[in-house]
Amino acid sequence: MNREASVTVPAPRMLLSRGTRETLSNYTYLLPAAICLGGTVLFPIFKAIHMSLYQNVLSRPQDYRFIGLGNYLRLLHDPTFWLTLKNSLVWVVFSVGFQFVLGFGVALLLNAEFKGRTFYRTLNLLPWIIPGVVVGLVWEYLYQPNYGPINDILRRVGLLRVPIAWLSEPVYAMAGVIFANIWRGIPFFSIMILAGLQAIPDEVYEAATVDGASITQRFWHVTLPMLRPIIVVATATRIIWTFNYADLIFVMTNGGPANATQITSSYTLLSAYTDLDFGYAATLSVVLLVIMLVFTACYLKFTKGVESVSG
Amino acid sequence: MDTRSRFSRRQFLKTVAATGAVSAAQLGWGEAPLLSPRKAHAASTVRFQFSVPEPLRISLVESLVDRFHKSQSDVEVKVEFVPQAQARQKLITAVSAGNPPDCCMMWDNWLGEFDGMGALEDLTGQIKSWKHYAGTTPTAWQTVTVKGKIVSFPWAITNDAIFVRTDRVKEYGLKMPYFDWTWDDFLTLAKGFTKPEKNQYGFGMRGGGTWAVLYATEFMYGNGVQVLKDDKVAINSPEAVEAFGWYVDLLRKHKVTPPSAPTDAYRQIVEGFGRGVTSMYLHNSGSIEEQKKFVGEPNFITLPIPVGPAKKRASFFFSETLTMFKAAKNKEGAWKFMTFLMDDEPHFDYCRTLGLLPTREALTKRPPYTTGVYGGFVGSFPFSIVSPYLAYAGWGGMLDSQGVPLFQQAFVGQLTPKQCLDKFAEMLTKNMA
Repeated sequence: MNREASVTVPAPRMLLSRGTRETLSNYTYLLPAAICLGGTVLFPIFKAIHMSLYQNVLSRPQDYRFIGLGNYLRLLHDPTFWLTLKNSLVWVVFSVGFQFVLGFGVALLLNAEFKGRTFYRTLNLLPWIIPGVVVGLVWEYLYQPNYGPINDILRRVGLLRVPIAWLSEPVYAMAGVIFANIWRGIPFFSIMILAGLQAIPDEVYEAATVDGASITQRFWHVTLPMLRPIIVVATATRIIWTFNYADLIFVMTNGGPANATQITSSYTLLSAYTDLDFGYAATLSVVLLVIMLVFTACYLKFTKGVESVSG
Repeated sequence: MDTRSRFSRRQFLKTVAATGAVSAAQLGWGEAPLLSPRKAHAASTVRFQFSVPEPLRISLVESLVDRFHKSQSDVEVKVEFVPQAQARQKLITAVSAGNPPDCCMMWDNWLGEFDGMGALEDLTGQIKSWKHYAGTTPTAWQTVTVKGKIVSFPWAITNDAIFVRTDRVKEYGLKMPYFDWTWDDFLTLAKGFTKPEKNQYGFGMRGGGTWAVLYATEFMYGNGVQVLKDDKVAINSPEAVEAFGWYVDLLRKHKVTPPSAPTDAYRQIVEGFGRGVTSMYLHNSGSIEEQKKFVGEPNFITLPIPVGPAKKRASFFFSETLTMFKAAKNKEGAWKFMTFLMDDEPHFDYCRTLGLLPTREALTKRPPYTTGVYGGFVGSFPFSIVSPYLAYAGWGGMLDSQGVPLFQQAFVGQLTPKQCLDKFAEMLTKNMA
């Protein structure tokens, strides 16, 4: 009986190692998400950078040309840009600062046990639910010097003889829009911080109480550190939103009077849709992006980001 | 088993295929869907963009289009209503993308900009042989002439005049203003009307929007000012500074305007007068109908702008135009529709409903244009001129984005009248293109 000798033939060597294949297949799974992100986030950013290098006034197509950093140089010498940057700083610091402090207070109140708490928690959300444009219209009406309720109340109680044009005087206009923005933004902080407060285990407070910590000490050494990740994320998000949030200003003052309430994001809109200067508007957008990136990096570094409190 | 009424598989597949084919045809891949309302013969479509500053205009234009459809069957008009705030931007992006409507309504101060883009159809030849060409007032043609070309029909024109509450004049025992009143008369009357404790002010000054600049300039013309002199910007001349100083003082020194004047725009000045907060304001005839409802016809009149120290005065004409685009796909249909709207009855109805003035003198002889509330406007014709700010296309958007904030800075005291006008003149000079 013939017996055939069997020879083990080694499997052909694969072109790529197993590890490389796995890595590639993992990246393939990520590809759809990467394409979506690239198309919706990266492409517009690169397009804006590209547009910022051109003279591109929509109503003067014959003047369309590459001007390199021309728009950036123009921006450096544009006094309105610097004014809007200063206004943006005031707008963000006061809006977010007061929203945070008041939102924190409301969250502490809503965290306490009392009758009708669910109702008040829902009521608290109302300003946040109302669309920004509607908020702008409502507050514009409240501030209206001739038939607005604020002036009317102040006159009836004898605090005012002649109505104040809140949104027409540069001194009051910025304060007026900031106040409306504070009103709108308090629920955001209160709901975020309330969620954080509810996540703090009671045992921690009990242990602190047993150790003899007073209510103030418990707040500073337990509540605040435990809430730090939420506070960092909420304030960073809100600062970025507020910096870019032009709806309220557009509706209430349109940046006036005399650019007193013009912030950089509303100035960008004005350049794009009134002057139709898309090149310059793109430049403003790129600068805004850089400012926000630098701010976010510094802020997260300074506040140690969202790393856990025990870390 | 009776299978006569059953749907066979083959029949089902056929039905699905047929439904799919019809649906695909309905998607509008062709010029018109397959199953559209039956017409005697194929009507060509005209796209017409209409800018809407107030809701009343929507029903008005719909009724005019309806009348046009009833008058003929060759052209079907599809109206695209666009809010006024977005109209200019939408048109410019449509032109840039090579897909503008066939024709549109636009304000005359946009024409230079669109002509600069090479977007407008030159209608000079057709319009000069149009039946109503000679009967149309020459100033109306001036408002739609760019670089010697007639690019639009002046659909409606108007100029500016001062609305005055005559009932308040009597109530406060003031001297009734007259046709040739002066700046001093105006100021005296404004002071007489002003009662801050009652929330009443003499003059509803406009500080918001492009017309904040135009109205101030109209007053300045009373002091012999010109925006352009020998092709150079002269809006910062000593006479202009003096006149603008007087105008700003109405707000800052005499306080005869509401405190909100630096930001008051169209809606605020019209409503301010209608609600009794102000007793005078400067505006075009477009708000007459509204004031008839608010204040009542016997309680107000209109007067020309008062005569200034140089014994001069001016009112700026502007027009709402019907304009055709060079890239229009149906120029013949657009012409047919535009000439229909310019015929006597549709033209008169459009102007009368909106309180604007018809562009043919014969039509201004009909009521309501013969009544007192139109007196200030019709009486201003002899010294009405085309807005000097139409001279350069580059001034269009800049008046709003840069001119208005400068004037507001003067109104709130951040700039002196001279500083404001110097900066304004610099801006105009830079954009003389």
